[in-house]
Amino acid sequence: MTIRLIGYSASYPTLRVIICLKELGLPYELEPPASYQSLKDEDFIANKHPFGKMPVLFDGDFRITESRAICRYLASKYQGKHNDIILIPKDVHKAGLVDQFISYELSYYDPPLSKLVYQEKFAKKFFNKDPDPEIIKQAHEELAKVLDVYEKLLEGKEYLNGEYSLADLVLCPGTNYVYGAGHSDLWDNRPNVKNWWSRLCNRDANKKSFEEIKSFWENN
Amino acid sequence: MTIRLIGYSFSGIVMRVIICLKELCIPYELDPPASYKSLKDEDYIANKHPFGKIPVLFDGDFKITESRAICRYLASKYQGKHNDTILIPNNIHKARLVDQFISYELSYYDPPLSKLIYQEKVIKSLNRDQDPEVIKQAHEELAKVLDVFEKLLEGKEYLNGEYSLADLFLCPSTYYVYDAGHSDLWDNRPNVKKWWNRLYNRDAVKKSFEDTKSFWESNPKF
Repeated sequence: MTIRLIGYSASYPTLRVIICLKELGLPYELEPPASYQSLKDEDFIANKHPFGKMPVLFDGDFRITESRAICRYLASKYQGKHNDIILIPKDVHKAGLVDQFISYELSYYDPPLSKLVYQEKFAKKFFNKDPDPEIIKQAHEELAKVLDVYEKLLEGKEYLNGEYSLADLVLCPGTNYVYGAGHSDLWDNRPNVKNWWSRLCNRDANKKSFEEIKSFWENN
Repeated sequence: MTIRLIGYSFSGIVMRVIICLKELCIPYELDPPASYKSLKDEDYIANKHPFGKIPVLFDGDFKITESRAICRYLASKYQGKHNDTILIPNNIHKARLVDQFISYELSYYDPPLSKLIYQEKVIKSLNRDQDPEVIKQAHEELAKVLDVFEKLLEGKEYLNGEYSLADLFLCPSTYYVYDAGHSDLWDNRPNVKKWWNRLYNRDAVKKSFEDTKSFWESNPKF
């Protein structure tokens, strides 16, 4: 039975799962909800996501929510089955460090990034609100400090934990949005970060996923 | 070699790791930093935590940071070795549902809870004025989250059926806020109330809370 993914490909938590599915060579069906509002319907809350969010993934009868948990599930169950890509190392120490880097993404990288994604991509188009220059400036500065740390973390490494892993994957969608929205200097002005982002952009799964999103934005 | 944990026992975030170590019966040494300011020293940032935070755990030469990542590591490596306590199920589906509930804790439960901790514990101890509007909003936000948890816990003793990391992670912050005048949030919801009582009465949790209580009694204005 094919995996069913409920979400919008333009929403970057959903895009995380899409990239993960592509990395692992897994077929899936994308099922966009009727509208953002429909996520708050009683039926969605009872049978899909108790907090009215996406993405939601069905693997046969098994249902799981929350993008990073979904990715961990897909990696645990399917990595190495369709191709050689390993997203969570088998070694307990390496896996622990991948978890650590996922936590850095959650705690430090994503907060300013998600503010910029909202302001630059979604505020006007979807919510008819003008972007707030003060928020953009603060978030840009906060992300600059985080990327200074990443510059050191990536010294002598191709990816955050040495080899490509979930820790790199989880930050690709949001980065793609913000990089393309006038903040590319944040990554391009730091040599290790720049090389790392280039490598990530050139991965097939990312390239394909970013292409699909590009056409979404061009048509909307 | 004994595990070394850098942090303060009264920090809710460090307490997650302490409860985890106690649950798994792993001996450890607690190494409190000189001060919160020392976390921003060059040496600390270079050799302990690149963002200048606690906790940091050393298992021999292996260093790992970030409380939830540390607990996942300890569970993966040591669960079942010293006792029967399982914090991450071996079955893939159950294990990843634990990850899902951990994400609910992170995304929905923790944000309003952290605001309340800041207002009720940190601001008070700094002798500054609390903001009643922030407290009211955070209380209401947490009430809505606990309405969802009330349903999630229907027919279950713990979030994923059996006790797991998903329950453990929210113990320290819950303890602080419950004790600071917001106990109605948990006590007014039958499933949530029973679940919190179960958690509160676990040996590892009780012991960790007692250690913290005596800290606050000796240092009310830390």
